[in-house]
Parts: sequence; structure tokens; C-alpha cells
Amino acid sequence: MSLRIAPFLPELLRSLFKKPVTVRYPFEKTPVPAGFRGNVVFDPAKCIGCNICVGDCPAEAIEIIRVSETEKKFKMILHNDRCIHCAQCVDSCPTKTYRMDGEFEIAVLNRRQLKIEYK
Amino acid sequence: MEFKVQLGPQHPALHEPISIRMTLDGEVIRDADLRLGYNHRGVEKLAESRSFIQNLYLTERICGICSFSHQTCYTQGVEKLMELVPARRGLYIRTLVCELERVHSHLLWLGVAGQEAGFESFFMYTWRDREVVMDILDWISGNRVHYSMNTFGGVRRDIDEMQRKKILDTLDLLKQRTDYYLNLAASEPTFVGRLAGVGKLSRQQAIDLCAVGPTLRASGVPMDVRKDDPYAVYDEIPFEVSTADSCDVLGRAVVRVKELIQSYRIIEFLLKNLPEGPFKVKAPRKVKPNEVYSRYEAPRGENVHYIKSNGSDKPERLKVRAPTLANYPATIAMLKNGFIADIPLIFAAIDPCICCAERLVQLDDGRGRGRVLRFSELRAMANERAKKIDYTKREIAWPF
Repeated sequence: MSLRIAPFLPELLRSLFKKPVTVRYPFEKTPVPAGFRGNVVFDPAKCIGCNICVGDCPAEAIEIIRVSETEKKFKMILHNDRCIHCAQCVDSCPTKTYRMDGEFEIAVLNRRQLKIEYK
Repeated sequence: MEFKVQLGPQHPALHEPISIRMTLDGEVIRDADLRLGYNHRGVEKLAESRSFIQNLYLTERICGICSFSHQTCYTQGVEKLMELVPARRGLYIRTLVCELERVHSHLLWLGVAGQEAGFESFFMYTWRDREVVMDILDWISGNRVHYSMNTFGGVRRDIDEMQRKKILDTLDLLKQRTDYYLNLAASEPTFVGRLAGVGKLSRQQAIDLCAVGPTLRASGVPMDVRKDDPYAVYDEIPFEVSTADSCDVLGRAVVRVKELIQSYRIIEFLLKNLPEGPFKVKAPRKVKPNEVYSRYEAPRGENVHYIKSNGSDKPERLKVRAPTLANYPATIAMLKNGFIADIPLIFAAIDPCICCAERLVQLDDGRGRGRVLRFSELRAMANERAKKIDYTKREIAWPF
């Protein structure tokens, strides 16, 4: 193939009259896909306290605590500052207690606010 | 007159910390030596204290660009240890994500090469097109960078009919763009003039120094793990190993663009022949005592994981040989007799992932057994070394 002078020029000129492909983020948000892995959401009514999720979580971000002595009731503490959003808990749970929502703007100034309790 | 210069570990030309000690004769590099170890993360040791499932996500985080290659390499190794036959549909989807990752990695590299060669608009356009692949990956796996698609026995998510059609539609755009880049890479005088003849690595040198991936194939050696030792479903897919004979950085760019075209062919084949059935099978939690050596053709070259199990749910040893580590000896050969100004280009041409290749090695006299180094000991060693540094040079007054 022979060398030509400025073969890039037509592409450059064409792009000159197009609007930028970047999204103006804080004002305009691209929709997240259906299977997006956002925050972990826990449903305490379904939990049977088997602790498989606690053992499988790669970031050790889940704590399951028994609430009452007599009844099988559990609460979950999610350390969202450690969570790596891999959704392994969703896969591991035998009773489908977990799901992931589509939230991605979870940055806060205080790390303590990321400790979420589900009762 | 020859003099010695150190480049890095922190330098604007290098994107990650690595240090090069060069002996210079004017502007020509006569000898070079690489120093590693500025970004050691202790991944291998950490893997020993985590279960096989937890390690899926740890191995994925070894690299940010070829995250899926490390995870797949690990998953395939553990599947061999478990004597598990993964679901066929799962293997097809796994291979599909492998190839999509290769497309995004090569497009990223083309942009970096363009930028290092001083061709900024090329960088802008390839990265714009890379967004198309990133969107596909986002769409089928849920995330852009860490897809987390693998699990033992298959993949974690299925692909539905709508996704299949959408990927096939967007492939046309990518194909068209890649043809344009191949055309451009061979006919744009500034680009060709900057890349041709830089970083020469002869065929024999490439074989002797055990180069891998596009670096090796650009020296005319058709070696590819996908062909030589097929994993997943690569033995059923028709594709060619791309090579170039020019043995320089231009050849490495051409090999990568050719591989992109092959990847599109593979993706098309996979999507058109996607088998029906389950996409994963149930895997056991514990693994019998055994050891395995897993190979994978990452976008940067051959990636190797060695896994040893001891009957529990944790690996006894995980050894990772990232492709960049295998390319370092070849890089030194490429740097020799080159110019200082070519260093960023030669380094970029191996597509380095320096943090992936950082390992701690402790050599002993052969009599003693291996021992664990504590962080405090490492710090003491570093302090000891710092004391020996000759600081007298600091006192020298600037002559001008």
C-alpha cells in the first residue's frame, strides 16, 4: 500500500460538524443496563440465616445478625464502603434474599454513612 | 563518552511505576536494565487465605484492562481441579466475552500508540469507537470494566435474543472502523514514519527471549495459545493467527489491527452458533488435592496461572505469570541501540501492565526453607538499604 498525503483529513473534516460524543454527565445521565450491579438490597423477611453470603463475599462486606432469641429473624449490616459490587451474594443466596439496584451515585464525604442496616 | 541515566520509576512517559537504568552514548541507548517492584500488592499471598469463590473476584482485579483473562485463566484451572465439565452454552458466552475484551483492549492500545507517536486525533477516534464495545460489555455483564461473568461450571448470566441481535448489529460499525484503521496504519506517512523501524526484535531474538503475544507474532512467529493449546471452544472456531514480518512497532500495530478483524469473525461465529441449553452447571465447594497449570491467550500474550489445592475450599498456592513479565527481556533487547525518544513508544508497544507483573522474590542459599517476610522486616530491609546510599552527591554545587 502506498503512502498518501493526509488520509486522515476527510475524517477530521466530517467530525468538525458533528456534536461531541461525550455525555454532559451531571446534567445528562446515560441509562444503566437492566443487569447493572449497583447497591445490594436485602429483604429481611426471606433470610434464613444460613450465612452462605457472609462466607462467599470477597470483600467481607456483609454481616448477618440474629435479632430475636425465639424467632428466626435476622438483620443485615452492609458495609458499602467495602462492597465491590460483584453480586456474588445474589448468586449464593438459596432463598433469593438479595438483589442489586441501579444506583451508581453512591459517593459520600463521610465513610460512616456507607454502613447500611437492613431490618 | 558513555554515561548512565535512570528513567523512572515516576516519569510522565511511563504510565505505571517502573525504572529503567540506561547506559547512554549520546542519545543512543547502549545498555538497559529494568527495575521492578514499585507497586507490589501481594495478590498471590492474599489468594491463599480466601476461598475459591472469593478468589474469582480477586484474580479479576489483578488487571484493570484484561480483567476477564485473569479470571478465565483461574476459572479454567479450578474447573480442571474440580474435574468439572462446564456447560456448553456457558463456554460459548465465556469465549464471546474473551473476544469482546480483546477488541476493547486492542482499540485502547491503538489509541495509546497513536498518542505516543504524537497522533492525538487517532487516539480520540479509537477511544470513541472503544465505547461501542464497552457498551456491549456493560449490556451483557452489567459493568464496564470488571464483568464478573465467570463462575465454576459456566458463566453467571445468559444472553437473550435481543442482546444477540444488538451485538451483531453494532459489529458492522466496528468492522467498518477497523478496516479504516488498518488502511490508515499502512498509508498515513507520519504514523508509518514514526513507528517503522523502531524497537527492532528479530525472529530469533523473539524466540530466544520468550516473548509472548503480539510482540512475538509481529516478529513473524505464529504462536497463539488459542491455536496451539485450545481452551474453551476455540478448537471449533475458524480463525487465523495474525502475524507480521516487519519486527518493529509498526508490525505490532498491524498485528493488533488484524487480530481485531479476526475477533469480529470469532464473535460473529459464536453468536450465530450459540447452542441451546443451560449456561452453568453446579460446582462443588471443596477441591481434591492436586495441582494445575492453566494457559490463556490474553490480549497482551500468554497468561499463566498455577493453582495448587490441598483438599479444602482454599487454594494452597496461586502463581500468576502475567504476559508483561514474559515480555521484559525482549523489551531490553528492543531498547538497545535505540534512541531515548523511542522509549515510550517501545514500552507502549508491549502494552505493559506493570502492576500485574509485580511479584516479590526472595532468594535463599538453597539449604534453608522458604519463609514468610513480614511487613516490618521489609521496612527494616528498606531502611538498611537507604542508609547505604551515598548522599555526598547532594552536596555538589550546580556548576552553572
